[in-house]
Amino acid sequence: MVAIDLTGVTKTYGDVTALQGVDLTVEDGEVFGFLGPNGAGKSTTIDILLDHARPTAGQATVLGMDAQDETVAIRERTGVLPEQFGPLGEMTGRQHVAFTVEAKDADDDPDAILQRVGIAHAADRPASGYSKGMTQRLMLGMALVGEPELLILDEPTTGLDPNGARQMRQIVHEEADRGATVFFSSHILEQVEAVCDRVGILDAGNLVAVDSIDGLREAAGTTGEMAIVLDAVPDGLVTDLEDLEGVTSVRVEEDTVTVGCENPAKGAVVRSCQDAGATVENIETSEASLEDLFAAYTGGV
Amino acid sequence: MSTLAVAKKDFQDALRSKALWGLSALFVLLSLLIAYVFAGFTAEIGIEAQTAKGLAYFLASQITLFVSITAIVIAYKAIAGERESGSIKILLSLPHTRRDVLLGKVFGRSATLAVPTLIGLLAGAALGAALMGEVAPVALGALLLMSLIFVLTYISIIVGLSALTGSTSRASMLTISFFFVFELLWGGVLIGISWISRELPFLSDDPAWIDILAQIPPSAAYTTGLTALIPGDIGPADETTADAFYQTPWIGIVILVLWLVVPLAIGYWRFSKVDL
Repeated sequence: MVAIDLTGVTKTYGDVTALQGVDLTVEDGEVFGFLGPNGAGKSTTIDILLDHARPTAGQATVLGMDAQDETVAIRERTGVLPEQFGPLGEMTGRQHVAFTVEAKDADDDPDAILQRVGIAHAADRPASGYSKGMTQRLMLGMALVGEPELLILDEPTTGLDPNGARQMRQIVHEEADRGATVFFSSHILEQVEAVCDRVGILDAGNLVAVDSIDGLREAAGTTGEMAIVLDAVPDGLVTDLEDLEGVTSVRVEEDTVTVGCENPAKGAVVRSCQDAGATVENIETSEASLEDLFAAYTGGV
Repeated sequence: MSTLAVAKKDFQDALRSKALWGLSALFVLLSLLIAYVFAGFTAEIGIEAQTAKGLAYFLASQITLFVSITAIVIAYKAIAGERESGSIKILLSLPHTRRDVLLGKVFGRSATLAVPTLIGLLAGAALGAALMGEVAPVALGALLLMSLIFVLTYISIIVGLSALTGSTSRASMLTISFFFVFELLWGGVLIGISWISRELPFLSDDPAWIDILAQIPPSAAYTTGLTALIPGDIGPADETTADAFYQTPWIGIVILVLWLVVPLAIGYWRFSKVDL
């Protein structure tokens, strides 16, 4: 089954084009990262999935249902963490979750949910007094009510400290293991990299890439780096390394040789160093950051 | 069911805020004052017809300002405010329809305003009964019923206007303009209309429609409608030799029902289409 399907979705606000002919399919059970700079159209896409906004052209389905015609049935089976929220009225944290449980006709225990998102201690306080991070946790808790088939999380890590972001990822993993589909939007690359099976990159209303993170790396032609510390750098080593297949750059700084290369070439690089008579004291490798990928796709530098 | 859930949340929010209790206290005081003045003043100038029924009319004529202004204060942000802050997306991410949210707001805020209104009216009627030694159960029942409808209607108008926009400043402009045109300035509007009508020969001979226009403000429709429900000798009801329906006080109830339905329907029509 397909969890989310967009076909030629275009959304314009007056002269501004928020989305331009977006085609996207998210499979059932997948954790899908929806990446893009602020203003790229991520929230507009989510608004269309939830019928907060209507597409100018094209069609959107969620869990096989038309996003504009079967909104209530979709929301019954979907948990949502909306991005833009305001004050939440005078209800306490527990009452917020209980309100969601009632709306979804679920049987969750509000305290267990609050425990899971780490704000059980604040259950009896009015949510209007919560910090941004606590509000975000509460919203996540509300999204989890009723074991939804689909979780739509719009910038879920906004306002969370590193510990909170880690718990958020943990919960996303748990939900995915349960079989839920997770649609996770973010402009923070590491968040997406850590949890997502596949990633879509949105830029200025256009979906510029959809692939696994490895696939994206490959497609963008970006490579990793390997820094090798030697006892001494033998003469001619730099030339030998540059001749190896898959090596794109070689830099030497004191006793450290930094080689830009594709992953399969790394073994040959180390062997060449040893063949040249040097003793390898340490090796550090790093992959191209998602930031580099992102820049490559979205036209940044 | 969804409508009730939203209404309940809205009402509970109001219960938790001090504003509702402040309003209740204010209105109880206002109502007691009205009853005291009515009983005292009519006795002093020696009016014989000082009755509990008369007090019901007097209370009705005095609470319209309280209800209309309070309705604007507690309801102008009902939809516009939640759109502006984005919190409406929380409600609408749950299995509620936009209609559930709109009607839920109307019922929730109506309950919020009905509580101080009813408490106040009962307090005023009780003081009146004590001072005058007389109770008019039918008149009191009619007063409470019409006041409930009036509260529901006013909230419905204001929520309907609030649903037209996603900006609270525009919502406050709309609702205050409504109040000015239909409550404060309506007399002037009528003079203007009747002056213009003299230039329109096909209308000039019949002043009846001007009388109907005078009933258009919700407050006027409410007080007129009340006379339809209270049998007896007070008010303009028996002076009319009711030869047409629109000349009876029932016109007030008809106009009130139109106010209850039409602005909200327009608000819903707009709100159901708009991008949040």
